[in-house]
Amino acid sequence: MSRRVTRRAFLASAAAAGAALTIRFPLVGPGEAAGAAAYDPNATLTITPDGLVTVHITKAEMGQGVGTALAQIVAEELEADWKDVRVDYPINDPKYGLMLTGGSWSVNWTFDALSRAGAAARLALIDAAAKSWDVSPADCVAERGMIRHMPTGRSLRYGEIVAKVPITKTFTEDELKQITLKKPADYRVVGQWIPRLDIPDKVTGKAKFGMDTFLPNMVYAKVAYPPVREGATRTAVDDSGAKRVKGYVATVTLPQLVAVVATSYEAAVKARDALKVTWDAGPNANVSTDSIFAKFTQAKDDPNAAAWHEQGDVKAAMSGAARRHEATYTTDYVAHMQMEPMNCVVRFADGVYDVYTGSQFQTFAVGTLAATLGVDASKIRIHQQYLGGGFGRRLEPDIMVETALIAREVKRPVKLIRSREEDLRRDFYRSATLQVVKAALASDGKIVAWENTLVASHPGKRWGPDFVDKKGLDQFALNGADHVYDIPNQLVRAVPVETGIPVGYVRAVAPNYTFFAVETFMDELAKLAGVDPLQYRLSMLGSAPRLARVLRLAADKAGWGTSLPANTGRGIACVSAQEKKTPTWTASVVQARVDPASGKVRVEKIVCAVDCGIVVNPDGARSQIEGSILFGVSNALKERGTVANGALVQSNFHDYQVLRMDEVPDVEVHIVASTEYPTGLGEPGTTTVAPALSNAIFAATGARVRQVPLLPDRVLAALRARA
Amino acid sequence: MATLLINGKSQTVDVDPGTPLLWVIRERLQLTGTKFGCGVAQCGACTVHLDGQAVRSCQTTVAQAAGKKITTIEGLDPAGRHPLQVAWIAEQVPQCGYCQSGQLMSAAALLARNPNPSDQEIVTAMSGNICRCATYLRIKRAIKRAAQGVRS
Repeated sequence: MSRRVTRRAFLASAAAAGAALTIRFPLVGPGEAAGAAAYDPNATLTITPDGLVTVHITKAEMGQGVGTALAQIVAEELEADWKDVRVDYPINDPKYGLMLTGGSWSVNWTFDALSRAGAAARLALIDAAAKSWDVSPADCVAERGMIRHMPTGRSLRYGEIVAKVPITKTFTEDELKQITLKKPADYRVVGQWIPRLDIPDKVTGKAKFGMDTFLPNMVYAKVAYPPVREGATRTAVDDSGAKRVKGYVATVTLPQLVAVVATSYEAAVKARDALKVTWDAGPNANVSTDSIFAKFTQAKDDPNAAAWHEQGDVKAAMSGAARRHEATYTTDYVAHMQMEPMNCVVRFADGVYDVYTGSQFQTFAVGTLAATLGVDASKIRIHQQYLGGGFGRRLEPDIMVETALIAREVKRPVKLIRSREEDLRRDFYRSATLQVVKAALASDGKIVAWENTLVASHPGKRWGPDFVDKKGLDQFALNGADHVYDIPNQLVRAVPVETGIPVGYVRAVAPNYTFFAVETFMDELAKLAGVDPLQYRLSMLGSAPRLARVLRLAADKAGWGTSLPANTGRGIACVSAQEKKTPTWTASVVQARVDPASGKVRVEKIVCAVDCGIVVNPDGARSQIEGSILFGVSNALKERGTVANGALVQSNFHDYQVLRMDEVPDVEVHIVASTEYPTGLGEPGTTTVAPALSNAIFAATGARVRQVPLLPDRVLAALRARA
Repeated sequence: MATLLINGKSQTVDVDPGTPLLWVIRERLQLTGTKFGCGVAQCGACTVHLDGQAVRSCQTTVAQAAGKKITTIEGLDPAGRHPLQVAWIAEQVPQCGYCQSGQLMSAAALLARNPNPSDQEIVTAMSGNICRCATYLRIKRAIKRAAQGVRS
């Protein structure tokens, strides 16, 4: 599979939210189905004679509860008895279409297709039962895993039909589209509190993650990584010391990597540490945080910067305005720090690579592996495991490529586990960014012009030419800058910059930094206009009534406008994340206390209101919102990746700190009841936190902090600047 | 050679005495419920009990563990129905689940020495365990639920 094919599939899917992505009809032929061992009407589900319904989940389970939610969607239209429903995570196959998990897309992209897959199977089961009784299908109903003939009360369980009755009805794509789906008011499974299917095994240690894979005759590999993140070349390898380590098996020296293989993890570490590799550090040896931001500062004035989003005439509106305001916002590198360090097991035998790992993007991994290894895509089999955190890190196939290359050489199954230090230093970070936002206000305080120059590295550039648009821009590095406020003249100038530090997609992606700038700047403009920040926003949300509603809801529940103790303030932010065309309307009010002596910020409470359309699993939704909000607190308060000598300075959780229980605020979540088509929940909450917190610090102290994370020294500097 | 008493069972493994207990538990004995997260006692994913005390198995050598009773998540309760495990399901705590064995082992050691912990005591005992999915609110609720169940 070429990357070009991958990109086309990707674009098609991105464009067609809810289209039949993974469903391949017509159904299997009647000959196969009649009296078959199992009924496989489509790529989505299998019903076996024991009555069990297995829903094949082609999305990665990384804690978002996607297996349970997608199975609920299928079960709803199938009229399955929930106790009969199981899930599995199949090996990649072209019949599953695009296998990609990210962007808070899973429910949004599959809700319609999975509903239709379930409905089609139900109609086929009704048809089969009716034929066996020689009655009209119109007199039959499906309920709780059973077809019942209403006039006579006869019934057949789904398992009995599969075992005994020929199932012959099939559907074309058009017929599939014409199926009338249930109305939300009639839902019995969707919208119900249903415990997650993956949780019981996650409290006993039974759940299998990639690292829990063991194959017969397996050996352990460790790679010797260069000291510089990107651009170093290897000049010499001396493995004489490694060879003396007990358990040493082999040294693998390839153009792409040098690795040592041993019989145990400890032996592999020792042997790798004994390896003497000489490097030419290359062109990035002096790259640092300072050099990167200096480059960004220079790049912001690029007169040829592409217009990514444009409406009206910003230039004219700016020049004629009563008042203008400008502010510069920066954010630092952020690492994924998923709890399970990157790891993989590969067995290469009989020309086939069996890959055991947790992947968020099997389609891309298969294409990359096939191209790298010089084999057909059909020779790559990814055995999907639970992901010990994804957050976008497991979109990348790098660990699979390394392990497969080593396994090809040593002819034994290979397990490669990165240490935390390697995991952090080999990460693909959320880009550091610099944004210059300008606005012009009319004399009544209304915003008449808005311009944002967004300097950042774009991940799509590294993924290949098919992952950027014609202007060379990656929309996932820009989303959110095209906010939904009613402002007549708008311009977003996009300036992609390469720094030598590779960037990737980290939970909530661009909207983390775009909404930080948009929503903090909006607060600054409200202050300038002399209007309450809530009212100011509401006055510009006429074309986004659902956002206005959650904004009001969050404000009401948080007691917006009521008094607070000294040095304590509330800040508000609202977003249309993750993408403007499929937004989950989200608003948060953050209450925080600032210690003016130290600049330390304590987040006390966050109230979040969300409208994501239909909610498939209410408790799962709540769990995702809670988690995404606290991920945002971690990003906003603590996480700062810095660069020196061409690599990340930080190495582990002691110097790259993430949120722990001692800094967790109260979180209150309000989900708006809705029958709108569902969007996603894994990320939008995250993007509200940094701006709402910056605004809370301002409300508490009058100090404006425009750098994320909102570290104590930055708060202190802002306090001093105020005075 | 080292002999370890893990979950009531004596196991002999051919490893250097300085080997971290974590790698023996996980990769030799394939008790994979215990997780590797950081290797430097910063995240708590590898937490096990040594004579009832919560320890980080990545920083505990085989030599230090020999002769002591080692309990992993697999041995916390024979049926997987420890009050904390029951509470963890009731509160639907885990997301990705990777850190949860360590969270449960830290919480179990806490409740064993303090059956009625205050909020602050929970926070103090649990702040060594990182959950990147940030299920902290539910972890706290589940510990309280389990504590109430244990007392009543």
